[in-house]
Amino acid sequence: MTLSVDVIKRGGQRQSEQFMREKLHTSIVATCLSVRVPTGQAESIAHSVCEAVIAWLQQHPEVTSQDIRIIATKHLRIQHPEAAYLYEQNRITI
Amino acid sequence: MDIPSSLAIISLAALVHASFQLSVSVLTLLSGHSIGAKHSQARLLRLTSSFLLGAAAMTVLLLSFISLMLIQLYGNITPQVVWAAACGLSVAVAVCIWLFYYRHDKGTALWIPKAIAVYLNDRTKATKRSAEAFGLGLSSVIGELLFIIAPLLISALVLIQLPSVWQLTGIAIYTVISLLSLLIVWVLIGSGHSLGKIQQWRESNKYFLQFVSGAGLIVLVVFVYTVEIVGSSVGFH
Repeated sequence: MTLSVDVIKRGGQRQSEQFMREKLHTSIVATCLSVRVPTGQAESIAHSVCEAVIAWLQQHPEVTSQDIRIIATKHLRIQHPEAAYLYEQNRITI
Repeated sequence: MDIPSSLAIISLAALVHASFQLSVSVLTLLSGHSIGAKHSQARLLRLTSSFLLGAAAMTVLLLSFISLMLIQLYGNITPQVVWAAACGLSVAVAVCIWLFYYRHDKGTALWIPKAIAVYLNDRTKATKRSAEAFGLGLSSVIGELLFIIAPLLISALVLIQLPSVWQLTGIAIYTVISLLSLLIVWVLIGSGHSLGKIQQWRESNKYFLQFVSGAGLIVLVVFVYTVEIVGSSVGFH
């Protein structure tokens, strides 16, 4: 599903792109799997986080990728705090 | 300097090297991407082992290269001024570690050039094959050269004074000890520990690790300075 929301990339160096649910879903599943969550549960968590992010995006036609990460982390924290921690850490590990 | 003292200095320098965290960060990220991409445990182990081998190879190469350069320049007897310069450089690095090692943000991001951090981040994400992981291991050691140069230089200065067989032993000891932190994380990941818990531990203890790295380097400098400069000035040798 593609919403008509422009996502401004990190640092504003790359072109903005349309929000892609699949991309967010894949990243949440990958993070959940990294903390050894079973695949089915990871898919279910990713589904519910994507729904929450999409609901938030309905009121925001233009956001940054960092905004999406913050909102996704907030909802992921409710479902799986450890996965949320790792998701948040992804860009600040190195 | 006698052989046990030399090996003790090399071991302490390697411990200081082991306390640096860039390679551990890259290994953690690499494992996260591999597990997240649903790769098998065997593939995860292949990638992480290759990374470890890469880091080991670059450590051996760097230590050997610096030792060779020093031998070419000074032979087996290093002038005291070089020892003093190495001690001065190490104190400066220790102070930099205390002041700057970690960025003052959340996470475990290090004070290394942004371009290197971005390069390592991107390469970690793109790494799919063992050869790439090996290359990433090589690069991650180069990435922290700014900090590891101090323990490497002191170890090299000590190594060139040793007989040939003990030089090889010294290089082996340095390499194994400097990889200890990576080995521990590698074993934890291989045995199925959660990356979240590993990263949480690293973040909670980052300022302690920062202090230990700097303090370890200072202790190393005090020891080397006492033995090599003060000791020879008072006719200890």
